[in-house]
Amino acid sequence: MTTIVGIKTKEGVVLGSDKRASKGFFIGSKITQKIAKIDDTLAVAIAGQLSDAEYLIKVAKAERKLMELRRGFPLTVKESSRLIANLTYSGMKNYQPYFVELLVAGVDQEGGHIFAADMSGAITSEDFASSGSGSPIAYGVLESMYHKEVTNEEAKQVATKAVSAAMERDPGSGNGIDVLVISNLVLEVAR
Amino acid sequence: MAEASGNFGTRYPYFYGPEGRLVLVDSALEAVNRGSTTIGIKTPTFALLASHIKPVRALIDPTDKIFPIDGHIGATGSGYIGDILQLIEELRLEAQKHRLNFESPIDIGSLAKHLGSFLHNYTIYAVRPQAASVIVAGVDQSGVQLYQVDPSGTFMRGSGFAIGQSADIALDVLQRDYSADMSVKQAVELSNKAIEKALGEQPVVEVGRVTAQDKQFQKLP
Repeated sequence: MTTIVGIKTKEGVVLGSDKRASKGFFIGSKITQKIAKIDDTLAVAIAGQLSDAEYLIKVAKAERKLMELRRGFPLTVKESSRLIANLTYSGMKNYQPYFVELLVAGVDQEGGHIFAADMSGAITSEDFASSGSGSPIAYGVLESMYHKEVTNEEAKQVATKAVSAAMERDPGSGNGIDVLVISNLVLEVAR
Repeated sequence: MAEASGNFGTRYPYFYGPEGRLVLVDSALEAVNRGSTTIGIKTPTFALLASHIKPVRALIDPTDKIFPIDGHIGATGSGYIGDILQLIEELRLEAQKHRLNFESPIDIGSLAKHLGSFLHNYTIYAVRPQAASVIVAGVDQSGVQLYQVDPSGTFMRGSGFAIGQSADIALDVLQRDYSADMSVKQAVELSNKAIEKALGEQPVVEVGRVTAQDKQFQKLP
């Protein structure tokens, strides 16, 4: 189905993904964009139902913009994750779940964060995380290569290796790797 | 009001009066001016709320006038106590709703804006506006904040506010002796001085304050 990874570094956050969209046993697209940039400081990696994920991201983008305009400063990464999780929770409670597992990654006043948000409405803060059909394999690479002092450059390579390994063994992942880096420095520019 | 009721057949009292004035809002503001004198003071390191709570008769306990809204915010008001209490409840509700949606404490500006919007609603429909002005103090990501919201729905950010009886005299005292490097103790003395000058009698006050350091709003004993 997908492999997505997120890594928190001491300089920001890194997201990685493959590019295959599967429709059952058929490959629907080889160039799927699974990493969505919400703004310069926040991005979301998508696993699961693409349409549900896109809707949630659109709402999150709009709410973030409104909050920033209304009160003058933006939502934190945790607040944005909670916003998305509230939507997925209400979906679950109404027996109409959003079939998604999202990795919300971004930088704010408190540094870089990775939050895993799934269709149950729960969010968990992680140093590194992976979702999708290739995630067990990706976790193998992440567990062995991740360390607390990882830099953005290093994390880019770790993310690439993790997605690449998953693509070798998971039929649901393949066709190329996308990587996005969000650096803490981007907040300096925003100011 | 006399004009409105005299011309009832030709002019509704709920919409504009002469010179474009909102007659009912003006009346609400007059009611606020009869309420007990209440002060808000802010410096970069703390914000203070003080309200004169001397009971009008013997055998009545002094009213609670300083209300914690959330851990990091407090509020007070002047005017009809029933109206004040409803607004305090609305502030508390909005603060918790924000926590539910965003898992974080609400910023004071958004809270004041919400209250302003809430009060504004009472000025466009055929109901009486709330006869209460509220002063909100708190600490958020932007620092120490002090806001006043009045019955028209106007909200103002500032460093010193006075509402209620002889508020203009109290405000004058605040303006003269305000200093951004005051301590909490000095600010309490200043607000007591302002209330005393406004009322011409010893103030009986309830005080609450929030500091930039501990970000907690507490009533002072």
